[in-house]
Amino acid sequence: MDLGHLASAFTPFNFLLALCGVVAGTVIGSIPGLTATMAVAVLVPITFSMEPASALILLGAIYTGAIYGGAYAAILLNTPGTPSAIATTFDGYPMAKRGDGDLAVAVACYASVVGGMVGAIALLFIAPPLSTVALAFGPIEYFWLSIFGLSLIASLSTGNLLKGLTGGAFGMILSTVGVAEISADIRLTFGSQTLISGFGVVGALIGLYCIPVLIDLVATPDRHLKVENEVKSVRIGEAGRIAWGSKFNLIRSSIIGTLVGILPGAGGSVAGLVAYSEAKRSAKPHQKFGEGEPDGIMATEASNNATVGGGFIPTLVLGIPGTPPDAVILGALLVQGVRTGPALFETGGSIVYTFIYGLIIATILMLPTGLLIGRYAYKTIVTIPKAVLVPLVGFMTLIGTYAIRNSISDVVIMIGLGVFGWVVGRFGFAASPIVLGLILGPIAEQGFVQSWTIGAATNNLTGMFFGRPISQAIIVFTLLSLLFPLFKSWRAVRRAPKEGAGRV
Amino acid sequence: MSDASKSGPGSGKLGTLIASAFFIFAGVVTLWDTQSYTDRDSQVFPQTVAIVLIICATCALVMTLLKGDESQGFSTGVWWRRVLLVMSLLVACFAMPYVGFLAAGVLAFVGGLIAAMHDRWTAKAALIYGLSELAVMTAFYTVFRYVLLVPLP
Amino acid sequence: MLRRTLMKTAAAVALAASTTFAIAAELSGPVDYVIPFGPGGESDISARLQQPFFKEKFGQDLVISYKPGGGGAVGWASLNGLNANGQTIMGVNLPHIIIKPAQKEVGFKTDELNAFYMFHYTPDAIVVKADSPYQTLADLVKDMKDNPGQVTMSGSGKASANHLAQIKFDKMTGGTTTYVPFKGTGASTTALLGGQVKAQWGYSTVGAKQGDAVRMLAVAMEERHPLFPDVPTFKELGYDMVGGAYRGIALPNSADEATTKLWSDMIGEINADPEFRQKMLDGGFALLDIDAAGMADFMKARSDEYLKDAKEAGLIN
Repeated sequence: MDLGHLASAFTPFNFLLALCGVVAGTVIGSIPGLTATMAVAVLVPITFSMEPASALILLGAIYTGAIYGGAYAAILLNTPGTPSAIATTFDGYPMAKRGDGDLAVAVACYASVVGGMVGAIALLFIAPPLSTVALAFGPIEYFWLSIFGLSLIASLSTGNLLKGLTGGAFGMILSTVGVAEISADIRLTFGSQTLISGFGVVGALIGLYCIPVLIDLVATPDRHLKVENEVKSVRIGEAGRIAWGSKFNLIRSSIIGTLVGILPGAGGSVAGLVAYSEAKRSAKPHQKFGEGEPDGIMATEASNNATVGGGFIPTLVLGIPGTPPDAVILGALLVQGVRTGPALFETGGSIVYTFIYGLIIATILMLPTGLLIGRYAYKTIVTIPKAVLVPLVGFMTLIGTYAIRNSISDVVIMIGLGVFGWVVGRFGFAASPIVLGLILGPIAEQGFVQSWTIGAATNNLTGMFFGRPISQAIIVFTLLSLLFPLFKSWRAVRRAPKEGAGRV
Repeated sequence: MSDASKSGPGSGKLGTLIASAFFIFAGVVTLWDTQSYTDRDSQVFPQTVAIVLIICATCALVMTLLKGDESQGFSTGVWWRRVLLVMSLLVACFAMPYVGFLAAGVLAFVGGLIAAMHDRWTAKAALIYGLSELAVMTAFYTVFRYVLLVPLP
Repeated sequence: MLRRTLMKTAAAVALAASTTFAIAAELSGPVDYVIPFGPGGESDISARLQQPFFKEKFGQDLVISYKPGGGGAVGWASLNGLNANGQTIMGVNLPHIIIKPAQKEVGFKTDELNAFYMFHYTPDAIVVKADSPYQTLADLVKDMKDNPGQVTMSGSGKASANHLAQIKFDKMTGGTTTYVPFKGTGASTTALLGGQVKAQWGYSTVGAKQGDAVRMLAVAMEERHPLFPDVPTFKELGYDMVGGAYRGIALPNSADEATTKLWSDMIGEINADPEFRQKMLDGGFALLDIDAAGMADFMKARSDEYLKDAKEAGLIN
């Protein structure tokens, strides 16, 4: 790892690739339905004619840009552009609603850059030892991790815990529809060919988040987002101060993102949820998460961009893709004739290090391009008339959902789910718990079935479920994040016994 | 979905009851469906979750009956616009295999445009909106079809 | 300006016309190669390996798209509704297309799929970690007989090639192992490397990918794989197991014979390319050449075997 690799990463051609990759990725990621995985998969053939290192830089830059781009739609339209940005909607959209959309976009950009850097630096310096994390996580750890993620439902649905849990359970039921992934049954399809493919996460995200926004938009003549009358200067400085004030949150979230990114069974969406949950648990009293708190956006965005570097760790060291886009990149590498493994960091070093420096360059480039594109996206969304915005977004949901796997029935399911989500949302059953259940359900189910099978075979079920140190740590964190809000509200009730008493 | 919408604006309580009942129903259906699975591994999880769902939804239903509900219901808002928007999206889906993606997109666009148009219609506005949307749509179509190589009908 | 545009248009039209006429009997543009799984899996990687050779030999782009869902069922159920002019092909996998329709109604039947070429298979293999106490297959067999059920083995999914191999091998040895299904070979390999299970029912590709981190105890091939001259076959060790997960390509069943023949020849030509063969072998695959003419016999033989195994295992009724 000498500066020669930095120099070879810095050739004008590679620099240009990184720039194009980041810009293309950001735009692709901001469109709901076009995920980082898809962006990378489409571009793989182009990279066949390139040097392996350049190809990797391009793919890595697109990947990291797409993860950041997902934040735009999350903030401005309440629709995660990629699954990684789910938790960005929790605070991003409320901020945009009250007129702070530009601030939210800028804050997200800073957080993404910090997260991306932390992930890339971990990849650069400590990839081989860190890769053991991927192996330390067995089925039972994934099971508890998903339970930890689900515990976020409790703190998300402050108004009505019962409704939140109902939604979460319903989401998990939805996740089982179709051909079971690890067992051999077809579930809850009622003989329908359409349902056999199940409810895809990306389509469900578009339906559950975007369609309700559209339905509410057309119902009233109010503006989509509130805008301050005075034209403000770019709020880059203000965002910078906020980010600097939350450096601890940023670093913690980045580390969470890196670690979760290393886990092959998790990915950016889980990383964002875990980091959000932790940020919320350690919130200061004046911070109101879920109502437009910049720290919520920063936690999610820092962690999901950290999964880029983190995900490459098991991909390059163990040949086990950390996240779905990594799986595609790994395939491209195999075609290029690059063999992954610890040796890649020693013998074939130049490719890996050139790539990592390229990734760092791409991450830094994300700062100017991200702020620029973000500002432009914000201005577009707030200035174009509603009568143009609604059909435009509607069209995007159609084409985006169709593009996931070229299926019209996916689009119909998306719309149906959207209308359903809007109706139940109107009565307090929010979309987020359903989405959490949908994403975490399969992780919980597989982890449980595998752990049970192994535990029963070795006659040690209790030891399997509760005896392993990492599991125990996750259980403790889950209990903390479940009990802490209760404790807080109990204290609040004791201090002001008259208001808000009696509610859980 | 449509039976819930008949409850009309403002009646949060009735809607919550119906929604809770629906979730209970979904749980029962899941339990019934799990009977037909051949593999024990695929039964455990849905059964557990369905029981959780039924318990939670029943509690939510009882709580709503006892204490009322604070959700706002459908509140005010123009129904024909909401319905028009959703219908135009759906019609676009069903028309897509026959008329192609672009034409179906135009259908959805026009529906959405009319649904979202709260200002007065003027010839100029209609023209500008129409043209700008056609341009954006064609651009999207081109990018998806020829750059991202999505086989659009 | 106008003239230039006109000229350009004319040139484009002429070009389009000439290409169309020149290869009208063959392909008329980029080919859509649908993989009924998500990106990054072994089916995707196989297709990616074919991609540059196809372009080089036949001058057209092979555009890979994904239609995942239902363990492949979503893609295969849609296959026969696609355009049969030879511009759309879809990957098919065994035993998936045999076992799935036999289990439940999944929207397609095995004999409705017009598979025209099987180009390789990933041979079943028992894989253990490099530091595992099982040095040979005999060590493993001894343990599974001494401690029935205690030997946990990861594999990809249920009613899959891995699962069928596990059931078959248990029966052959008279021992008992516990099969732990994971989502895909990648996850099952991770579980092996992390020590969550004692061994893995994987493929020779796992050995190629993981190198020194793992040891293969035996592979289910007729002869040893050139990449692993030291790994014995099951046959050598006295177990009659040859097989694995087979990959091929299908056209919609309304495709005419000329199109099917054309495609069968093209894939065969790629498969015959020495450079391609080497790449496949380096990846741990075992090449196979079942063309359109030999497909019926091949499918019959495989179906009989898979269905028999699955019935005995209680996976289908």
